[in-house]
Amino acid sequence: MTARAATRLLACALAAFVAGCAQLVPQTVALRSEWPQGVPQTVELKSVPFFPQDDYQCGPAALATVLAYSGVDITPDPLVKQVFVPARKGSLQLEMLAAPRTYGRVSYELAPKYDDLLREVAAGNPVVVLQDVSLMSPFIAEWHYAVVNGFDYPSGTIYLRSGKTERQEMPFSYFEREWMAGKYWAMVVTPPGRIPATASEDRWVNAVIAMSRVGGADAALKGYEAALKRWPGDLPAMIGLANLHNDHGEHARAISILRDAQAKHPQSAIVTNNLAQALSDAGRNSEALAQIDKISDPQSPFATEIKSTRALILQRLAQQKAGNRR
Amino acid sequence: MTSTIKKMTCRILVISMLGLGFQTARAGMIGADQAAAVQGAQSDRAAVMSVLNRSETTAQLQALGVDPQSARERVASMTDQEVHTLAQDIQTAPAGAMSGWGWAAVVIVVAAIWYFAYRK
Repeated sequence: MTARAATRLLACALAAFVAGCAQLVPQTVALRSEWPQGVPQTVELKSVPFFPQDDYQCGPAALATVLAYSGVDITPDPLVKQVFVPARKGSLQLEMLAAPRTYGRVSYELAPKYDDLLREVAAGNPVVVLQDVSLMSPFIAEWHYAVVNGFDYPSGTIYLRSGKTERQEMPFSYFEREWMAGKYWAMVVTPPGRIPATASEDRWVNAVIAMSRVGGADAALKGYEAALKRWPGDLPAMIGLANLHNDHGEHARAISILRDAQAKHPQSAIVTNNLAQALSDAGRNSEALAQIDKISDPQSPFATEIKSTRALILQRLAQQKAGNRR
Repeated sequence: MTSTIKKMTCRILVISMLGLGFQTARAGMIGADQAAAVQGAQSDRAAVMSVLNRSETTAQLQALGVDPQSARERVASMTDQEVHTLAQDIQTAPAGAMSGWGWAAVVIVVAAIWYFAYRK
């Protein structure tokens, strides 16, 4: 074998080794060459509380950690009833997302990227992650939730509140292996007025809507207002906010939001229907009728609702007339 | 034959009971979730499916040891999409729960291999 061939072979072997590494921990390798812009290299959120977990209770412990950090007065105990599944001896991701809503907090699932994880921590939002901590991964999985509350780029370390360890230090690469097995699943929990650093318009507004089902009117109000401050033309947020006001008898505010929404989204049948309803609730039935008659599409998916709104307005108009005659 | 009728009756009752609660919610305002829905509006079929999914997921949670009251509340805090997903994979989705028993399992397996393979 010539020296040249040997060199070539060595180069190939080296390339294969590097490629192999990149496959093992692709995102860590990417971070090595390109650190996300604007993210400091060392962050540690020291005030993130720590709740040492009991057996199998890492879900409630991780949730309590982020909920308490977001200002809710809570311990893991009441959360056991909300997320723990006895027969599975653990907590499911979807329930982890659902539980914070009942405390008026918005849970937001992050994009499966190291960049986003780091950005959220840097922005002051501790991140709940799902790891497979089994030694025999991927053959036997042992799922675990922990909270990332810091990192240090120069030493390549991730800091976590995890299980019974208050300050777990883990290399970026090792953490990625465990996190990758959980498909890079990560979530943050924030008060409704605080939009996560990596949130996108649609997904954040959807997260607020999901919270508004069970989180109380106050929290929903704050969520919609914050969303509209950032994204003033967002249709679902405008509708959500107007509906809340209308439910609380503040028809004038609902009407003004819906008029604004109508100017921005003139083709939305929902806006027009709701505007008509709010006008009618405010006693302005002839204006309401004029609005609802603007919708001419009988194929609209909301045809049933529109028809019943129209019927209600006509009924109220008839009552008004009868009242006037008397 | 009778069991089919019984099943159908049960289904109809479940849907009608759950349906009552939903219909009285809001008279004329269409919800923000409808505006945000990816597919646009929620069809009647989707609404029925959502009700069925909710009752099914609640039942599954109960079967997995969650008490009925909590199961209902837990399902109530999920979106239709989430309930649908959970109904599909509640048995297989990862359930986070580090226990320390993983180590014990490793030790037992290694001990068993040693015992049966080498100790003759």
